[in-house]
Amino acid sequence: MNLTTGSDLVPTARTAGEALIMAVRGEIDLHNSPELRTQIFDFLGKYAPKRLILNLNQVPYMDSSAIAVLVEALRRVRTLGGKICLVGLQPRVQGLLEIARLGTIFTIAKDEEEAMTK
Amino acid sequence: MRHLRLQTTSDPALLAPVRRALEGFCAASGFDDKGVGEIGLCLNEAMANITRHAYSGAIDRPVVLEAQFSDDTLLLTLRDWGNGRDPSVAPPHRDPLTPGGLGLVCMRKLMDEVTFVPQPDGMMLVMKRKLGSSR
Repeated sequence: MNLTTGSDLVPTARTAGEALIMAVRGEIDLHNSPELRTQIFDFLGKYAPKRLILNLNQVPYMDSSAIAVLVEALRRVRTLGGKICLVGLQPRVQGLLEIARLGTIFTIAKDEEEAMTK
Repeated sequence: MRHLRLQTTSDPALLAPVRRALEGFCAASGFDDKGVGEIGLCLNEAMANITRHAYSGAIDRPVVLEAQFSDDTLLLTLRDWGNGRDPSVAPPHRDPLTPGGLGLVCMRKLMDEVTFVPQPDGMMLVMKRKLGSSR
C-alpha cells in the first residue's frame, strides 16, 4: 500500500506485509535531519512495522545528526521486536556508518528485495 | 598558497553551501573525492557542534571559516564567539548506540590534527590534513 508522505526528503513510502519501506532523498545534515526524524517516527507510530526498510540510494551525504535519527529509530523498532534494514548505501554514508561503528549494527542490503529477506 | 575565507553564521541552513564551498576549494587543491568528502564532513560536524553547543542552538551567531592550502597541507580554522567550552575534554564516544560525540570522533579520525584553541571571547578550532594522507 502506497502512503502519502508530504515531504521531499521522503518522497515515497509504502507498506508490504509487516514491512514499512521508506525512500529517502537528498543530503541530510543538521538543517533537515529533524524533518527526517518527524517522517520516520510518524510512520513508525502509525504502522509499528516489524521491519523498517530505509532506501538511501538517493542519499549521497549525511552527517552525525542523521545518524542519530537512524539510531533512535533503531532503538524504537527494536522495542517493537523489529529491525531496520538500510538499502543502497552510498560511499560517504557507508564511510560515516563505519566511523560510527554502526556498520554491523544495522542490517545492510543492496536493494529492497534483499532487504525483505534479511 | 591558496586561501578561502567565509564569514557565515550558525544557521544550519548554511551548512551545505559552506561545506560545498570548502569541498570545491579542497578539490581544486588536489584532494581526491574521498578526501574532499571527509574534509567536508569534518567541517559540517565542527559547524554543527558550534551551533548546538557553543551557541546553544542560536542560529544567528557569527562563524568564520578560513582555509589555507600550502606545502601540500590544508589548514582549516573555524572561529566562533560562543561559550568557549573545549569539546575535546568531554568523555570519549564509546557506545555506538549512544548519541553524541560522533562529530568529534569524525574530526579526529579523518583529519591529521585537531586542536581547540580557547580565545578570550570564544573558541578557535584548527584542523590540518596533508594531501595524500589516507584513512
